[in-house]
Amino acid sequence: MKYTDGAEIREAIEQYLPKVMKPTRYLGAEWNTVVKNWDEVKVRMAFAFPDVYEVGMSHLGLRIIYHLVNSYEDFLCERVFAPWVDMEEIMREKEIPLYGLESFRPLKDYDVVGFTLQYEMSFSNILNMLDLAGIPWRCEERSPEDPWIIAGGPCAYNPEPLAPFVDFFFVGEAEETLPQLLHMIQEQKENPVSRKEFLLKVAQVEGVYIPELYKVDYKEDGRIASITAEPGAPKEIKKAIVRDFDNSFFPTKPIVPYMEIVHDRIMLEVMRGCTRGCRFCQAGILYRPVRERSPETLLKQVDEMLKSTGYEEISLTSLSSGDYTCIQPVVQEILDKYSKDKVSVSLPSLRLDSFDVKLAEEIQKVRKTGLTFAPEAGTQRLRDVINKGVTEENLLETAESAFKSGWSSIKLYFMIGLPTETQEDLDGIASLAKKVADLGSKLGRRNVRVTVSTSSFVPKSHTPFQWEPQEGMLSLDRKQKYLREILRDRRIKYNYHDVETSFMEGVFAKGDRRLADVLELAVKKGCKFDGWHEHFKYDTWLEALEEVGLDPHFYANRAMDYDDVLPWDHIESGVSKKFLVHEHHKALKESLTLDCRFVDCTGCGICPERELQNDLKG
Amino acid sequence: MRTLRIRIAYTKVEEAKYIAHLDLSRVFERACRRAGIPLAYSQGFNPHPKIAFGSALAVGVEGEQEYVDLELEKEMDLKELLGSLQEQLPKGIRLLEGRQINPKARALMAVLNGATYQIRTSLTLPLTEEKLQKAINDWMDRSYIPYIRYNKKGRVEKDIRPWVKELKGKIKDHEVIFDLEVEIGNQGSVRPEEVIASLKKLEELPLEMEFLRIRRTGIFVSYEGKKVSPLEQEAFGK
Repeated sequence: MKYTDGAEIREAIEQYLPKVMKPTRYLGAEWNTVVKNWDEVKVRMAFAFPDVYEVGMSHLGLRIIYHLVNSYEDFLCERVFAPWVDMEEIMREKEIPLYGLESFRPLKDYDVVGFTLQYEMSFSNILNMLDLAGIPWRCEERSPEDPWIIAGGPCAYNPEPLAPFVDFFFVGEAEETLPQLLHMIQEQKENPVSRKEFLLKVAQVEGVYIPELYKVDYKEDGRIASITAEPGAPKEIKKAIVRDFDNSFFPTKPIVPYMEIVHDRIMLEVMRGCTRGCRFCQAGILYRPVRERSPETLLKQVDEMLKSTGYEEISLTSLSSGDYTCIQPVVQEILDKYSKDKVSVSLPSLRLDSFDVKLAEEIQKVRKTGLTFAPEAGTQRLRDVINKGVTEENLLETAESAFKSGWSSIKLYFMIGLPTETQEDLDGIASLAKKVADLGSKLGRRNVRVTVSTSSFVPKSHTPFQWEPQEGMLSLDRKQKYLREILRDRRIKYNYHDVETSFMEGVFAKGDRRLADVLELAVKKGCKFDGWHEHFKYDTWLEALEEVGLDPHFYANRAMDYDDVLPWDHIESGVSKKFLVHEHHKALKESLTLDCRFVDCTGCGICPERELQNDLKG
Repeated sequence: MRTLRIRIAYTKVEEAKYIAHLDLSRVFERACRRAGIPLAYSQGFNPHPKIAFGSALAVGVEGEQEYVDLELEKEMDLKELLGSLQEQLPKGIRLLEGRQINPKARALMAVLNGATYQIRTSLTLPLTEEKLQKAINDWMDRSYIPYIRYNKKGRVEKDIRPWVKELKGKIKDHEVIFDLEVEIGNQGSVRPEEVIASLKKLEELPLEMEFLRIRRTGIFVSYEGKKVSPLEQEAFGK
């Protein structure tokens, strides 16, 4: 690399900023950015988001970790995002290394580079970013001078395709364990011990998974024979959990970007976890048990954040905010206090059965936006299979009151390719959409607009459907075309995703560490930004798979046996395999499992295993 | 309710020069909210703050004296307003001056009709002062100067000469420093880089075009041959 220090990199980058799209992606210096004195801290971390700035900055996890690490006097945390292709081209041509946004220092200068793993299709960007930073990909190729490469987030629950590239994975919630690791890294800098000795020490931290301490053996047919931990490394990695969620760290001086980002508002995390138990949902397993924040804490945070950001909108975020037991009083109090200042509230994840139109009307007083619901499947039978406990009546009642209160556009999300899906279920999607549209017309709404979006089901690790095969691409494609035909109605718009991307997502979601070679080869061949339709190179991925000699259908389209060793068997979500098997059986019998917040314990295992319980404030 | 209207002159330099014009309004809105300045909002489903700028600055171009109008919902001491707003603005946006203006005064967009720019660029080959002056004079003597722009409709040829009121240049070390004055009209204007690109091409000057350093040194109301600041009484007449 031509440039090695921060001032030089800044000068070089600034020269090219007028030539790229959205230059403030690369500038840093936003409001509330934390810039620390490099020489006065002991451990320097770069939080790396493997997608563009406006996606990364919309991610609450980044904001928590960034401000959390910076809250320690001895640590510093800066941010780095995947440069968009126009900037990448310039950086490669001019040999400008990837840098941290606060100091413009090259990534190589940091002690730790931490990637967040939000979705499988961002894996290629991780390698591409390391390449742009001049950091070798594989742990074994890196020297002690290179940064530690760490990673966390939902995909860390099946991190195997990234195993050779990452020193430590964080499984679970890192608010308490990341600072612990950074202290250990500080100690290692001051009094270094051998790599092996250090790894074994770090392996004792709750939720830390160090792939090189585990050996995977395969059977002749390609399935896994065994996963063996080295002596001294835990056999199973238990996820880290924040126990006192109400008092856990939450940043109240979040960064306010210059450019418009995807979620450009205050994000208030009202609770963590969801026990509704939808059987396709990975987050519903990973973040158990449910922990709520108290209204007092939330209102204090709102006050601080409005003052520190100047934002005019507050989003109450969680996996299902309508289920937050204090939602009504919290929304009411925010509106009472701040609507005179034109502050509005949005609830991004509402369930049809927890949706309260009065509440929705209330929050729409200041700004009016569309309503989105996710019935997920077209018939009651299939909704029972996936344990999505909403009914057609729920949807129609909700739609009716929404139309009556002045809404005219409603979005509906569905999945296709769910286990046991039949023709009837597809027809059900269309008939539900039409019923909603007809209801709007009947109630005298002009410009009724129903947007139907389908995504293709991808079986995810740690869910009751983890053993299920993904449906083949041809068949998914046919289903999309069929829906496009039967959804022809000027009031209905139909959106869907390309099946090739879902297929590759399926491969990596259920993949093992042999896929690392494929990932490496695909990135060498130019794969990046796979989540962006215009950059996804399906043929290149197939080429890479073939050259490495792996069959993608083996991963995505094979039904796994209950007694197969799964690539993620050594990673524990706290929910027992026994429970998942039981839920899978129940799914096939179309039998519902109720939410343990409202009825009896369902026996998923997390509470007794970790001596916890749902923590509700209402 | 009486609405108060404040006109403020500010700089947009250093890092702030990369803030896109569309984002600038958000920057001011959030700064005002943090500063507790009671902005007035439009009515309707999607209330917008009443913040209005003059002519847009291109990304990367510095502005030495730009203007913004803010409408307030209730009275606030001007000094206090400027002081608390300044504290909430990013580096590079410095408030220079502000005053309360007639609520009926015409919008900045409608009154600003002229701007001056300073453009600096390197020479790719040696050039004498004499040759530079001749090139500039020849260029200014042209009565029709076509320039090709590309927009959504495709290729558009425009005569840029009418917009250019004055162009001066001098050589300093290996750099040429141009001073340019342009008119801004209802039909738009000419961009400084277009003037320099045309000068380079038509008069065959050895100018480096990739990294022009452009600064808007002023934007004003051209009135009876004088350059008047939009802060001055006569500029915002009825």
